[in-house]
Amino acid sequence: MIIRMAKVEIVGPKQDLLTTLELLHNRGIFQPDPQLLERVELADDDRLQALVLDEHDLRERSFFQDLYERVAALLKLLPETTDSISPLQPLPVMDLLDELVDQHLASASEQTRILADGHKEMEDLQHDLIFWQALEPLLADLPRDSNLELLGITIRDSQQLQALEELLQKRTQGRCHISSTTTTDGSLIGLIATDREIAGSLHQALTDERVPEMSLPEELANLPLAQRIAALHERLQSQTANCRKNETQLLEFSRRWRPTYRRALSWLEERLTLYRATATAYTTRLCFIIQGWMERAEVLRLHTDLNRAFDGRVVLEQQAILEEDLDQVPVMLRNPGYFAPFEILSRLLPLPKYSSYDPTPLIGLFFPVFFGMILGDIGYGVILLVISIFLAKHFPPQRLPSDIGKVLGVAALYTLLFGFLYGEFFGDLGEVWLGLHPLWFDRSKDILPMTIFALTVGIVHILLGITLGALSDLRRHQPRQALLKLAMLLAVLLLVLAMIGWFYPQSWLNTGPLLIGVGILMTVLIAAEGLLAPLELLKTMGNIISYIRIMAIGFSSVLLAVVANKLGGMSGDIMVGILVAGLLHAFNLLLGVFAPTVHSLRLHYVEFFSKFLDLGGRRFEPWHKRPS
Amino acid sequence: MEEVWIAFAAALAIGLPAIATAWAQSRIGAAGAGTLAEKPELTGVIIILVAIPETMVILGFVVAAMILLM
Repeated sequence: MIIRMAKVEIVGPKQDLLTTLELLHNRGIFQPDPQLLERVELADDDRLQALVLDEHDLRERSFFQDLYERVAALLKLLPETTDSISPLQPLPVMDLLDELVDQHLASASEQTRILADGHKEMEDLQHDLIFWQALEPLLADLPRDSNLELLGITIRDSQQLQALEELLQKRTQGRCHISSTTTTDGSLIGLIATDREIAGSLHQALTDERVPEMSLPEELANLPLAQRIAALHERLQSQTANCRKNETQLLEFSRRWRPTYRRALSWLEERLTLYRATATAYTTRLCFIIQGWMERAEVLRLHTDLNRAFDGRVVLEQQAILEEDLDQVPVMLRNPGYFAPFEILSRLLPLPKYSSYDPTPLIGLFFPVFFGMILGDIGYGVILLVISIFLAKHFPPQRLPSDIGKVLGVAALYTLLFGFLYGEFFGDLGEVWLGLHPLWFDRSKDILPMTIFALTVGIVHILLGITLGALSDLRRHQPRQALLKLAMLLAVLLLVLAMIGWFYPQSWLNTGPLLIGVGILMTVLIAAEGLLAPLELLKTMGNIISYIRIMAIGFSSVLLAVVANKLGGMSGDIMVGILVAGLLHAFNLLLGVFAPTVHSLRLHYVEFFSKFLDLGGRRFEPWHKRPS
Repeated sequence: MEEVWIAFAAALAIGLPAIATAWAQSRIGAAGAGTLAEKPELTGVIIILVAIPETMVILGFVVAAMILLM
C-alpha cells in the first residue's frame, strides 16, 4: 500500500539551522522539498529568501571541504587494514588533524613514491634476469673476441625474427650473427653479435624497425656475463628487502592512523552534507524555514524529538496537502507479509502517483490465480512448489530469490488447485494412470466453456479496474471524471449482456433495450468526452477479449503435455519413453512458468492497470546517514 | 471438399497472425534489447511491449478453433 505522507514545515532560529539539519539527517525520515516554499510562499512574501551562508559558515565550510579533500587523498595512499573505525570525536581535534594531515600526506606520498620506484626496479631486474639467463647458452657458443659487440633484443614473433635477420644481414653485408631463444615467461628474445665498428648502424636499424633493445644499468653493463647474472640476483634481493621494509613501515603507519582519518573523513562528509542541505532551507531575517515530506505516522515522534532537543525553539507543523501538491508528494510503498514478495512484480513498473493505488496487493491477489488458471496441472504444481520451498528456505528473507520463491509458491498452490479442477496430472497421465477426472472442465476438449470462463474473468477484472479508476477520480476530487467512468462501466456491462443475449438467447434477456441503453450512454459520453468515447468502449471490449489468452495458453500447455505422454508411450522402450516424456515435460514446465508469468503480468499491466493506475510518482528518499 | 476449405481457413487464421506476431516481436525485441542495455530499469515496460503482439496469434488461434469446432 502507499504509505500516507505528511507535508511538514519546520521553523526555528537561524543559529539552530545546522543542528536541526543534523537531527533530521540522523533520524532519516524527512525529505526536504524546497519547491514547496517556492510555489506557495515566495510569490507573496518578499522577506523570505533562499539561505545564503554568512561569512563564518562559509569560512568553516571551505575549511572542512579542504580538509576533507586532503584526508581523502591521504586515505587513498594508505594500505587497507583490518582495524575498525576509531571512536574518537573528530571535532575537538580538527585543528590538530589539519596540521598533521599535511605532514602525513607528504610522508605517505614520499613513501608511496619510493615504494612504486622500488617495485618498478624489481620488475625491471626480474625481466633482465630472465633475459640474460635465457641468453647464457647462446653466449657460450660465441667466440671470445674483444672486438665483438653484443646486443640483446626482444622479438614479437618468429616472422619478425626472420624479417629482422634478412634486414640485418643486408645492412652489415653478412657481418653479424643473430640467434634466438625463448625465456621462461614465454617471450621470444634474440642476441645479435657484430663488429664494434658497425654496431652504431645496427643500433639505428633496430630503432628504425622499432625492435626494443635490452639495456642494463651502467655498472652492470661492463661485467662479464656470469658476474652480471650474479650481480642482478644480488641487486634484486636487496631491492626486494628494501620494498618489504617500506611496505611494513607504510602498513604500520596505516594501522596507527587510518582508523582516525577514516572517522574524520566520515565526520567531514556528514558535516559537508549538512552544509549542502542548507540549500533546501529558506530564511527570514531571524528564522529558517524548511518544508518537506515525511511519513504521517512519524510526525508526532519528530515533533517530540525537536521539542526535546531545542526546548521548543524549533517548531514542526503539519500542513494540509493541497490539490496542486498531489503530483509532488513522494511515494513510499510498504506491504504486509503476504503481499511484500509481490513487490518484485510491481517494481517492474514506474512508481504510482500518490493519489493512485499501489498495484502490489492487486498483483498479489490476481497474479497467482491467473497463473494457476493457465498452468493448472497437479504434477507441474508439485514441482513448482518444491522449487519455491527450496528458494524460500535457502536464501535469506527479503532477497530476490527468496521473494521469487514465495511468489512461485503461491502460484504453485493455485496451479495445484486448478490442476484438480481440470483433472490434469502431467497432462492426461493422471487420467490414464490414476483415473483422475476433471471436476470442472476438461481443457483439452471443452474449448468453448473455457473461452467463456476466460472472458468472464476478463469482464470481472476490467469492470473492477474501471470501478477503481472512478474511485481514484473521486479521491482526486474529480467527480465528473468519476461519473464518466461509471457511465463507461455501465455501457460495457450492457454491451456484454447484449452479446450474451445475442449468442445465448434467454427469455429475460432482451438485446434491443440493452443496445438502446448502450446508445444513450455513448451519446452522453461523446457529448462529454468527444469522439474518443466510442474508441474507449471498443478498446475496453478488446481488453476483455484479450483475457482469452488464459484459455489459449493453457490449452497449448495441456496439449504439449499430452503430446509428451504420447511420444513417450510410442517409443516401445520404458526407459526411452520416460526420457522422451521427461524431456518434453521439462520443456513444457519451463514454458509453463514463463508464459503464464509474462501473460498474467501483461493482463495486469496493459488491460487492468490502464483503467485506473496513474504512474509516474516520485520516490520518497529521506535524508539519512550513510553507514560508515 | 468443404472440410479441406475449413482446414485451410483455420490454418490461415492461425498462420497469418503467427507470422505477423513473429515479425512484430522481432522488431520490438531488437529495439527492447538495445533499450535495456542503456536503461535496465525499463525491463517491465519491455516485457509488456514484447508480449503485446502475442494477442494477434492468440486471437488467431481462437478464431481457428472456432472455425474447426463450430
